[in-house]
Parts: sequence; C-alpha cells; structure tokens
Amino acid sequence: MLEVKHLSKSFDQLQVLQDVSLHVSRGDVTAIIGPSGGGKTTLLRCINFLEKADKGQLVFEGKTYDLESITRKDMAAIRLKTGFVFQSFNLFSNKTAIQNVMEGLVIARHMPKDAAREISMRALDQVGLRDRADHYPSQLSGGQQQRVAIARAVATSPEIIYFDEPTSALDPELIGEVLAVMRELAQSGMTMLVVTHEMRFARDVSTRTIFMENGSIVEQGDSRQLFSEPREQRTRDFLRTISAER
Amino acid sequence: MTERLWRILVESFPKILLPGLKMTLPLTVIAFAIAMVIATVVALIQFAHIRVLTQICRFYIWVIRGTPLLVQLFVVFYGLPNVGVRLDAFVAAVIVFSINEGAYAAETIRGALESVPAGQTEAGYCVGMSYTQIMWRIVLPQAMRTAFPSLSNGLIAMVKDTSLAANITVMEMFMATQRINARYYEPLALYLEVALIYLLFSTVLTYLQGIGERKLDSYGGRHARHA
Repeated sequence: MLEVKHLSKSFDQLQVLQDVSLHVSRGDVTAIIGPSGGGKTTLLRCINFLEKADKGQLVFEGKTYDLESITRKDMAAIRLKTGFVFQSFNLFSNKTAIQNVMEGLVIARHMPKDAAREISMRALDQVGLRDRADHYPSQLSGGQQQRVAIARAVATSPEIIYFDEPTSALDPELIGEVLAVMRELAQSGMTMLVVTHEMRFARDVSTRTIFMENGSIVEQGDSRQLFSEPREQRTRDFLRTISAER
Repeated sequence: MTERLWRILVESFPKILLPGLKMTLPLTVIAFAIAMVIATVVALIQFAHIRVLTQICRFYIWVIRGTPLLVQLFVVFYGLPNVGVRLDAFVAAVIVFSINEGAYAAETIRGALESVPAGQTEAGYCVGMSYTQIMWRIVLPQAMRTAFPSLSNGLIAMVKDTSLAANITVMEMFMATQRINARYYEPLALYLEVALIYLLFSTVLTYLQGIGERKLDSYGGRHARHA
C-alpha cells in the first residue's frame, strides 16, 4: 500500500538520505533501526512532507507522486489518510486530551462534533486514558501525552501510522506503557512504520525490520530473521554493540 | 490647603473626569481595538514569510517606531490638510494612535507566535489541518496568551499617551485641565489632580489585566489542578 522509491535528501552539503527504497504492505509493522544520525527520522519526515525530499517517489494507494514536486493538494489528501506520532508528542497545548483527538476529525474532516467526540473517547479508551479526557497536556505525564498522541493518530482511522522514536523522550519507567499500546495496535492489524531504538519491540512486535546506516538501507527483511541471522556484517556489528549495552 | 484651593479642586473634578469618560476612554478603546487588528495581521504576515508583504510590514514598523508619536499626530492633523485631507481631531487621533500602537503590538505578537513550538504546527499538518486552521486554532490562541501581559502594558501606556491629543485640539482630560488652570492658575494642584485621575484609570486597567490573565490561564498551566 505504500512504497518509497529512490528517495534522496541532503541538508546543505550533508547527504542524509541516499537512494532509499522500501515497501510496506497492509498490516505490516515495519521497524526502522540503526545508529543515530542515520537518516531514519528524516526518512519519515520526507514521506509525510514535513521535509522536502530532493528526489524520489512515493506510491500511496496505487498512485505515484514525485516527492520533489508534489502539490499541496496531494499532500493534504495523503495526510488525511496517514497518522504521525512524534518523539516529542507535540500535543496542542491549548487543547485538552479529548480536544486534541477531536481536532483532526472536526476541523480537518468536518465530522459532526458528537460523532467525533464518541470516536475520540473510544480512541482514548483504547490507550487507557478515558479518565484523562479533560486534562491539558501540561497536566499529563510524558507517557500519557504520548498515548494521547497515539489516540489522536488512531482516531482518524489512517491507512498507516508513522512513529518517530515514540519512546525516546520518555523516562525509562514510562516507556513500557507506550510500547504496550503500540503492541496492541500492531495486533489489531494497524499498518505501522516505526523508527525506534527499542530492539525488543523491533524483534518481537514488528513483522519486518529495516536497518539503516549513513543514509541508506543496509538490510531489510523478516524481523526474526534479521535479528537472529543478519546477512550483512554492518547489521551484525550494530546488533552486537546494542546487545553489549544491555 | 486653603478653602479656595479645595473648592477649585472639588469643582474641577467632574470637569476633568467627564472629558476623560467622553474622550480619553473612547479614544483609547477604539484606537486599541483597531491596533490589535493591525498588529495581528502584520504579525501573521511576517510569521508566514509572505515575501513582499513582509517587507511592507517591516517598513511600516520601522517608520512608526522611529518617529515620535507627537510628530505623527501633527503630521496627520496639521499636515495632511495641505494635501486636501482634513480630518476631525478625534478621528485623526484614533488613526494615529491605532497605527502607532499597531506597530509596537505587532512585534509583541510576532515574538509570541514564534514562541509556540513548531512541533505543534507539524502535528496540525499531520492530522490534516490547513495552515490557516493551525494558525487560527492552535498557534494564535497560545501566542495571544503569551502576548497578553505586554499588550496590556501597551493599553495602559496608551491611556496616558492620549494626553498628547490635547495638542491637536482633542478635548480630552489634559486639555480640560489646562483650560481650568488658565482660569484659576493653580498648576501644581490641578495637574496633580489630573495625574491622579490618570492613575485611577491605569489602576482599573491593571486590575482588569489581572482578571484577564487568570481567565486565560486555563491550559492547565500555573493554576493546574492535578487529579
């Protein structure tokens, strides 16, 4: 359902992404792992047009878009069918939890308020925060904020949700609750593309794993296989340093 | 204090306060309201980096902040008739005060807009909102909250600055006081009296600012109640 072809991106002289191609099928939970500065986040941001790619194509629901020249209208149309969860949550500070979730339904999708409230409540329920619906982000813990952010993405029934290091900004004791929500979401059949440093999530929850380094994809494949018998030496080296840290 | 002086002060009080309520107050309220509209538009244009318009806005702010308010009043009221634009003194004052305050407030609001984390704008795009929707519903409300104390400052300053309008024949509080003083010649007492009335006006506004800030402080900020 989603395909990225030959994506390249550089900031000034620095080549951040080099000819990246990948493919996501419906229901896939794909983890993108690799050392920091490898271009993982930039990749996600380019696919959702938060960064402008220098070159490359996006195939979404059978239609091909040139990333360097995509129109605002196409961007808006694709964004209505995708969700994005940020490392730093980025909840709207002037809105309560439920208002954060409703905003995309009522304002962007012109859904009647009552229907939107019902859907939003269900989404908050799904992430275990029904009782925090009327709290402002500043009254919630980091883990709770991120769960609201996930509810905000889920409520719009997107075709795919992108996660950009969703647990990296969290205190260690709060990571578990967010991962648990993501795991449930994965089991419910949601298509997910997840940039993460949580190796256990990548290995146990994701169906496919992509290993990226220095702006290009080194290896991708079935998660269990990639973790147990990586083909590339660089993947092996990375996984060894990661497990040594544990 | 002699009995004569006391009588003058008591008699003058309504004669000063009335122009205050009839001129100073409406002038301030109308000019400030227009200034807020100008400032918001000018700030949003700059924030969105709309090319040519941004340059026009910078020019406007540069000229207005770089010239004295009194001179601006004179140019508009005494100067413009030379090119055939004859304005009522009150109208001229409203125009000058709103354009003047608009320039300062625009900078305040622009700074406040920039203080809203860019991530919230990105999140807005990601849930499918348009730029206008994001500005109107997410960024501007938060910016206004941040700008509120500074904007209140501007309002209080404007109440006092309206005394300059006496120079272009607007019959406001200060002008009224000058007239009374011309008759009795008690400058110290009378000018202190009008100062006191300005202080009264400012105090009321400061009080209202406090209420406003508490009202606006509803994002679960300082007065957040944790469950």
